[in-house]
Amino acid sequence: MTYWAVNAVFLAIVAVVGVLALVTAAVRGRAARASSSPGASTRRRREAVLGAGIATGVLLVMTAVFDNVMIGIGLVGYDAARISGVFVGIAPLEDFAYAVAALVLLPSVWVLLGGPKAPRAPRTASAAAATAAAAASKEARS
Amino acid sequence: MGFVYLAALLVSLFGMVVLDRRFRLFFWRDVPRAAVTLLVGVVFFLIWDVVGIDLGIFFRGETSFMTGVLVATELPLEEVFFLTLLCYLTMNLLAGARMVAAVVLDRRGSSTAVAGDPAAARSTDGASS
Repeated sequence: MTYWAVNAVFLAIVAVVGVLALVTAAVRGRAARASSSPGASTRRRREAVLGAGIATGVLLVMTAVFDNVMIGIGLVGYDAARISGVFVGIAPLEDFAYAVAALVLLPSVWVLLGGPKAPRAPRTASAAAATAAAAASKEARS
Repeated sequence: MGFVYLAALLVSLFGMVVLDRRFRLFFWRDVPRAAVTLLVGVVFFLIWDVVGIDLGIFFRGETSFMTGVLVATELPLEEVFFLTLLCYLTMNLLAGARMVAAVVLDRRGSSTAVAGDPAAARSTDGASS
């Protein structure tokens, strides 16, 4: 079995968890949108997409740098017959699957662990009023 | 026995904790949720490592930078800390990048809106996360 074949199996698991998290977030988002302004949810989505893009770029660059260092000083070795031979410096391209998996799996697990309580809380009138009051007092202070 | 790599990992992990605490990125948002997320990530990547090692794809390098302590065949103790760092870094980075994204969008918004009040826009950041 090649490195890519192993990665395909684990990335498939990550993809399933990722889809589950997206569906969960979409369902919760629909519930939350009923109580908040449409502008706020668009803004939240933009923030999430831009943030994820920045984090992905930074983590991939860091992976390229530190994987090269780790391989360079001999912390890890690879069977040349089982890797594709595509390298970023001296790091096999396959190693980047770990970074990609982390970027999808971890926030997905975080979302799935969130539970329905958090987004449902502001739906009650008293909680919404409390949130509004807190925002107003914050604004008054600044 | 070399402790260089382990020490570097521990220093980096300490940095993650400091950033987490300062900007409330991961554990300082929700301790049990962060603990489970981190554990799931580390266990998942350890299984991935063990499969790769069993198939002979990658193996421990011969180096004096590692302690030589193994937690499984060809799996050095340091790898557990490396994977913990990878997972912690990823979650800190995602939360931090989200804060940066909020600032970028605020700036873009207040430069286009005539009645844009940057102070008011900034004050809603904390509430939205």
